[in-house]
Amino acid sequence: MAEQAIWSGTISFSLVAIPVRLVKAVEPGRVSFRMLHSKDYSPLQRRMFCPEEDKMVPPDEIIRGYEIAPEKYILITDEELESVSPERSRTIEIVEFIDMKEVDSIYYDHPYYLVPLKGGEKAYRLLVEAMRRTNKAGLAKFVLGEREYLVAVKSTEGALALITLHYSEEILPDKDIAPKEEKVEAEEKSRIKKSIKKMITDFNPEKYADGRRKKIMDLLKKKAKEKVPVEAPEVEEEEGEGPADLIAALQESMRKVKKNR
Amino acid sequence: MSRKVVEIAGKRLSLSNLEKDLYPSYGFTKAHVLEYYRRISKFILPHLRDRALTLKRYPEGVEKDFFFEKRCPRHHPSWVKTAEVGRDEGEQMTVCLVNDLETLMWVENLASLELHVPLARAGSTETPDSMVFDLDPGDQANILNCVRVALILRDLLSNLRLTSYVKTSGKKGLHVYVPLNREKTTFEDTKKFSKAVARTVQKNYPELVTAKMSKEFRKAKVFINWSQNDSSKTMICVYSLRAREKPVVSFPLEWKELENLAGQDDPEKLQVMHSEAVSRAGKQGDLFREVLVKKQKLPHL
Amino acid sequence: MAGGTIWRGYIHFGDTNVPVKLHTAIKEERIQFHLLHRRDHVKLRQQMICAYEKQPVPMEEQTKGFEVEDGKYIIVDPEELEQTAPESSRLIEVHEFVKTGQIDPIFLERVYYLEPDIHLKGYNALVEALKEMDVEGICTWIMRKRSYLGALQTSGKILRLNTLRYADEVISVKSLELQKFSLSEKELKIGSELINQLTAPFQPQKFENEHEKKLRNLIEKKARGEKIAVLRPRRLKPTAPDKLLQALEASLKKVA
Repeated sequence: MAEQAIWSGTISFSLVAIPVRLVKAVEPGRVSFRMLHSKDYSPLQRRMFCPEEDKMVPPDEIIRGYEIAPEKYILITDEELESVSPERSRTIEIVEFIDMKEVDSIYYDHPYYLVPLKGGEKAYRLLVEAMRRTNKAGLAKFVLGEREYLVAVKSTEGALALITLHYSEEILPDKDIAPKEEKVEAEEKSRIKKSIKKMITDFNPEKYADGRRKKIMDLLKKKAKEKVPVEAPEVEEEEGEGPADLIAALQESMRKVKKNR
Repeated sequence: MSRKVVEIAGKRLSLSNLEKDLYPSYGFTKAHVLEYYRRISKFILPHLRDRALTLKRYPEGVEKDFFFEKRCPRHHPSWVKTAEVGRDEGEQMTVCLVNDLETLMWVENLASLELHVPLARAGSTETPDSMVFDLDPGDQANILNCVRVALILRDLLSNLRLTSYVKTSGKKGLHVYVPLNREKTTFEDTKKFSKAVARTVQKNYPELVTAKMSKEFRKAKVFINWSQNDSSKTMICVYSLRAREKPVVSFPLEWKELENLAGQDDPEKLQVMHSEAVSRAGKQGDLFREVLVKKQKLPHL
Repeated sequence: MAGGTIWRGYIHFGDTNVPVKLHTAIKEERIQFHLLHRRDHVKLRQQMICAYEKQPVPMEEQTKGFEVEDGKYIIVDPEELEQTAPESSRLIEVHEFVKTGQIDPIFLERVYYLEPDIHLKGYNALVEALKEMDVEGICTWIMRKRSYLGALQTSGKILRLNTLRYADEVISVKSLELQKFSLSEKELKIGSELINQLTAPFQPQKFENEHEKKLRNLIEKKARGEKIAVLRPRRLKPTAPDKLLQALEASLKKVA
């Protein structure tokens, strides 16, 4: 079994269509804690709650709303949402190819992988290989959930990586950041260059680790040694012995068991 | 430290610290553990297959700290099968699936002596393929008290036309399994059913059985833990070693054997050690085979 | 306008120290929806519910636990966690420099602008030096009680920090277990030619979030009480493996 798909559909370029699923390419390395109730150490679950009725609301009673005026909502169903851009909600259509070098890294948002679905393996492999040879990446738009994404699809180590890109309107101008004065101290520059030269190597991400994560794990190991872990109480289901039929059958069966003993 | 590279089904695996004494008072090393799992693999693999493994690692042996890991370790070899399963908070988690010998050997190289798996497969985490009664004796009770309760459960269930199977927990208890293997059965069903069964037995045998979880109520009684019938819970896998003083195995027994032992006063007779497990499984085959295939429907729900 | 200053510090390596101010470079605006109770349209709130009491739990009764065994937790106090926080520092420490373009995009997380702080000393010289040598600096710094890994880059006349993901946060391509599939040289050639034909310069301004505009239209329509036609998404028919060459040839004819 493989990574769970975030989305599945088709990636197309010109007249070629490849069935694929989208899976995650990165996973935050945080130490994962559970939220507990400090009174009984029972795990907490995120649920939607109706403040007026003071109760939990099951998923089938929940609907999405857009607030047009204070406490006045326009309801939008999943179907309506999907029909906003129906052609893009199931297809990643590559509209053009670009040289990835032209894409400023400021545009990069989040990476994923695309994995071929049954029957799409050959065309997938072709797109991977042809993009590798030409050193190009595909540019496409597609809709996932409530958003439309501009994405770059590139070939990486024999797979297709999909990187969502920011829209140019989301990028803040840097005009006011640039120094007012353009003078470059020549001496300073050559001194800096000398010191950079001594420090040039190849990029090796393995060298760096999150020190905080290790500290947290050390803390947990130390605590586990010193203290007995707390235990969550057994969750009692709603009272009642069970379905009446079952109870009757069990009682009858129990009578037989006792008689034979 | 010794290191050995083995190749299984074309996959290379580097085994380390083979002489590490994992059961120090018994002299059972990591090499012994790997050998046990290799020899029992034919029997245990079908029961591990496609289930999200919870690792319980004892890198420094059973007398030292263990590490409990639900997530598949990040540095796993690329050929280790994994699955994504959801947790309560809606978060996804990557877990290991032990579907072949090479993965089993990799997991044991991590000193995961105990192999815990859920009652449902990773692809259908809300569909248990069996219902379980985890019989847990209180401080002053022992496995023989559990035997009595297990036999009552067997008879009670069989009157409802449900066949059940039993294994030792490898510690002080017994586990009674009722195979279901039906797509439509949910944990809600098994919970409801097992709870009603536990209550019935407890009401009829109050001197033997308690329905209370807390230790004070248990003492000389057996607690029928029905709440294991939950998608978030795991059970020790049949044929798994336990991390006790000696390498004891959670092993399937025949009901007949249990009946014979019920009259005797030797709780130790019910403990199956690693070597006995291999030879008995070799002779009698997998007594738990039916748990994976027998289709049964819970009546009266 | 770039976002406000979020942090101040010094870029440091060798005997170079350049004081800078950090600004956000990205601003995302999205249509905000609320979740409502279907029957009375009351806005729902997300609450943490106690699995045992089945009741919402107020913030002050919530605590963090690390699961060591099924249902067994080590409780961690916020103060204890606080102690694992890295000591605050004003240093952006550059450890080494790598050639621009060496970092796989998958590691790149988010860009921040760096503005010269207090005085200009060294800022312009550093920009020029990085540009002329075509390198970026791999650096670490502490901000908001977290340690960051990043790449110090130039863009135009300014310096930027691009945060990087840690190596163990990236899932390997190997784990996808992709099958090898052999292709004919002809298929590859036509495929490559097709890509070259369809290549254009990257012009991000060309792309707008049209979907969001349409979504706003739909909301307005609904607000006016107009009926919404529901359109079903269509799935494209996959190109069969034995039809691949044909589809490529037809594509090429179309664009040529």
